[in-house]
Amino acid sequence: MRKLYTTLSLFILALASLAASVPGRVSAGENFSGVAIGGKVNDFKLQDVEGKEHTLANLRGKRGTVLIFVSVGCPVSNAYGKRMEKLAEGYKARGVNIVGINANHTDTIEMIGEHAAGSGLTFPILKDKGNRVADQLGALVTPEAFFLDAENKLVYRGRIDNSRDESSVATHDLREAIDATLAGKTVTKTEARAFGCSIKRVA
Amino acid sequence: MKRTLLPTVFSIAVLLSAGNYGALSQSSPPPRKSAAVRKTVPKSITRTKKVAPAAKKTTTSAVTTPAKPVAAKVTVRVVDDVELAKLIRRDAKQPRPLLVNFWATWCEPCRAEFPDLVQIDNQYRARGLDFFTVSLDDMAELTKNVPQFLREVRAEQIPAYLLNAIEPEAAITAVDKEWRGELPATFLFDGRGQLVFKHSGRVKPDELKIAIEKVMSDK
Repeated sequence: MRKLYTTLSLFILALASLAASVPGRVSAGENFSGVAIGGKVNDFKLQDVEGKEHTLANLRGKRGTVLIFVSVGCPVSNAYGKRMEKLAEGYKARGVNIVGINANHTDTIEMIGEHAAGSGLTFPILKDKGNRVADQLGALVTPEAFFLDAENKLVYRGRIDNSRDESSVATHDLREAIDATLAGKTVTKTEARAFGCSIKRVA
Repeated sequence: MKRTLLPTVFSIAVLLSAGNYGALSQSSPPPRKSAAVRKTVPKSITRTKKVAPAAKKTTTSAVTTPAKPVAAKVTVRVVDDVELAKLIRRDAKQPRPLLVNFWATWCEPCRAEFPDLVQIDNQYRARGLDFFTVSLDDMAELTKNVPQFLREVRAEQIPAYLLNAIEPEAAITAVDKEWRGELPATFLFDGRGQLVFKHSGRVKPDELKIAIEKVMSDK
């Protein structure tokens, strides 16, 4: 009986230590690498705030597309509302379309619609149910931008600029990537990070 | 005899562990939900201001009210990316595991998870875990919302910093090259400065405790 008890205890201890040393703890399920720079983004179909379905194919610009992951309640994302709208207005005539994507499972289509109207956002904002597009791209933060060229290849990913406080902006990273591409130049900075809100994925 | 003895020993062990849990719960900080945390603020402030009269009242109130002292002031220090890198790398002769949490008062999940982190600090600091927090709030909050929130969640004993970096990329890289800057984010480094655990989004206390126990047993 004592042997059995000892064996059982050892077995439980072994299980506990195994659980504590599960490989991949460092990148514990939250690390979505997504499409690499230069990789092609697959087409997707998502609904806008009115329930109308859109694909990347029908939303993309002739010379490129910027997908920006946004949020209803994230103060960082909201601090970029006017800047995103300016980008959308400025680049539409130059053949680059801006598309917002909300992948937060906590934000309903109704909430997204009301928020967009209240914030004066006129570019399309799509609801990414089940984070399928966020997972494909490896989006983790709001706001986070993905600039695709005319062939839907990823050119740049990351922040819009370096500061959520517009008066402190020193580098316009997204604009520089778009402008370089439109000018036929090489994009020198293909990734840039900034602090933001985590995307609330479905469990 | 053995058959009757084993279940008895097991029951005693279970009761003892339940007792320990109870003791932890009693000294643990306010509830998780930030709304609940906010509701406790006036109470804790009142308690702070009226420490002497409350202590004089009765023995019963001394038992029901946790005897934890409430510090009057929380100091939040400003760091840039270079100083942050030094804080994380450390150059101690007897290095201890280090837990670092990045948060902001504007980040709801950050606020929601903070009581869990305070409880973890209470549980592990004496056992050899270092822990500090880094706020990503604006500089204007250095003496306002940041220390106020830290007082609300009873985090006075945890070293607190506010990151002032014009270029966030350098600060993010100093912590983890793979981190994309999403908040909240929690990182655990071993005594050699190696990143052994990270979690973005609201931390799962049980998962973090397993990682802490492991890194402490590996010392």
